[in-house]
Amino acid sequence: MSRHARKLFEHVKSKEFRQYLMRYHFWGPVANWGIPIAAMADMKKNPDIISPRMTAALCVYSALFMRFAWMVQPRNHLLFACHITNETCQLIQLGRYFSYSGVTKEGAA
Amino acid sequence: MTTAWRQALVKLDSRLQSRMSDKLKERWNHPAGLKTIHFWAPAFKWSLVVAGVSDYLRPPEKLSLNQSSSLMATGLIWSRYSMVITPKNWLLFSVNICLGLTGAVQVARILRYQQSIKETEKK
Repeated sequence: MSRHARKLFEHVKSKEFRQYLMRYHFWGPVANWGIPIAAMADMKKNPDIISPRMTAALCVYSALFMRFAWMVQPRNHLLFACHITNETCQLIQLGRYFSYSGVTKEGAA
Repeated sequence: MTTAWRQALVKLDSRLQSRMSDKLKERWNHPAGLKTIHFWAPAFKWSLVVAGVSDYLRPPEKLSLNQSSSLMATGLIWSRYSMVITPKNWLLFSVNICLGLTGAVQVARILRYQQSIKETEKK
């Protein structure tokens, strides 16, 4: 157990990992994590702050970017994980919005 | 099942290409062209800007500060990185600047509303 922990610690300290942190294809996806985290924080709040247009747009956006993250060279697993999480969160928010407002209500707020 | 779909699409594609000029064919078959996710995924980011602008019509008490500020942050961070990567990606830059600005306007609206609520409570 401690052998694995030590190996992980040494990997984090290594030059390759520090260089990875400095690359753009790390910080860009980190910025994108703000969106699902914001959605998770909003899940505890009143559903009337959910914007249906933005939430629906984010659902399609994350679906497309899941594919993009998979197909891009080099394959970006961090971005892929971010968009899978975001897709789930936005779909949950959309579901909350519809059950709160009722599907029969005309138009989007 | 899917191979039948795929074959039909390939056939449609070759029929379209037989009508194209060489220059147009080059664009059509580009690795980041209209047929690929490398085009459509960033292009679709504009829908977030459109949704954000349409949300200007929503009253500020019905806006989410978390979501607006996360969109503003992601827009601004990606604007910087689209200028740092090689080659510079002006399309990515433009969409992210717009997203950052839209998010910033929404955050300002929400904060101004929250401030006015605090002031009326003090009175």
